[in-house]
Amino acid sequence: MKYSDVPADGPLDGADLAILDDVRAAFAGADPMPADLPERIKFALLMHNLSGEVARLIKDESLQPLAVRGVEQSRTITFDSASLTIMIRIESNANGTVRVDGWLAPPERRDIEMRAGSEVLQAASDEQGRFAFPSVPSGTAQLVVRSARHRPDGRGRSVVTPALIL
Amino acid sequence: MTERSPVSVSAGQPDRTARIASLLTAAREGSEDALGDIVTELTPMLWQVARATGLSTPEAEDVLQTVWTRLLSNLDAIRDARALIPWLVVTTRRESWRQRAAGRKQLPADGSWFAALADASPGSEEEIINADQRRALWAAFGQLTPRCQELLRIVAFVPRPDYQAVAAELGMPRGSVGPTRGRCLAKLRVLLADSSDGNPG
Repeated sequence: MKYSDVPADGPLDGADLAILDDVRAAFAGADPMPADLPERIKFALLMHNLSGEVARLIKDESLQPLAVRGVEQSRTITFDSASLTIMIRIESNANGTVRVDGWLAPPERRDIEMRAGSEVLQAASDEQGRFAFPSVPSGTAQLVVRSARHRPDGRGRSVVTPALIL
Repeated sequence: MTERSPVSVSAGQPDRTARIASLLTAAREGSEDALGDIVTELTPMLWQVARATGLSTPEAEDVLQTVWTRLLSNLDAIRDARALIPWLVVTTRRESWRQRAAGRKQLPADGSWFAALADASPGSEEEIINADQRRALWAAFGQLTPRCQELLRIVAFVPRPDYQAVAAELGMPRGSVGPTRGRCLAKLRVLLADSSDGNPG
């Protein structure tokens, strides 16, 4: 076949589209997007999205029993945002992970995510606003209280905490 | 390679176009879920756009985060849903080249990154073309100029209804009645036809 048979200014036809399909299939197979990339991007957007509230840390205290060696340390942190107050208590587990118990005020059922490194742990609060993550890897983590569902206006607001060192 | 009838690239997937339009409307009104669905739908395409410029995996990820964040601040400016995909493609490409320049990176010498791709284990989608076809395709593709490789890789992932708008944004000429195949695709088609005639080059 010669160039003159396939003019660059000729209309795109079925054979061209078939070649583009093959190119797409070849690259999709050889260099696929990392499967978790959309989730990570959505999280980054959540942080920037005007409809996502960023909670402010207002209190962070370590409750260390007086002079009792070997007793697990516990730490309580409170976050505040325009629509929610989030309090969490962090305790060390024997295996190096931490347990996080939390309360939302005002209390309501919400989906809650703990983003610890590349892991996303899921939980939900009950009617009293209580939630728990029994085993979170220690390190940096962030809590996301997902937007409320089934609201009349259909638009709850997600709340994100700053990164914490657990 | 005998089929030559012109096709309409604006046909096909009208539902998808309408769906993206309604997602965009909802996203403008503040719906995180709608925005998330757009991200899920279009990030695989943008990944290819970023990688086509030669960025590493972490660099491509950074660029895509930047592009989507920028979309958030431009949601109101993109009134027409048909402008969304061209905007995303062009912004990703520009950001990718900026990143390349900032890293002062050079594309590896001709063909080496390409050989790495060709050797990569096939994913499921690739199985729709057989091994011989794939080898012929990579061989022909590797003979294209870097610019043609980049452009074709990008437009191959663009949904058909958006092809014309994206091609125009990328500086590919369009004909009076619709999109033309362009220099790069014409060249690839000739290379493929020659290789199937057992007459490479």
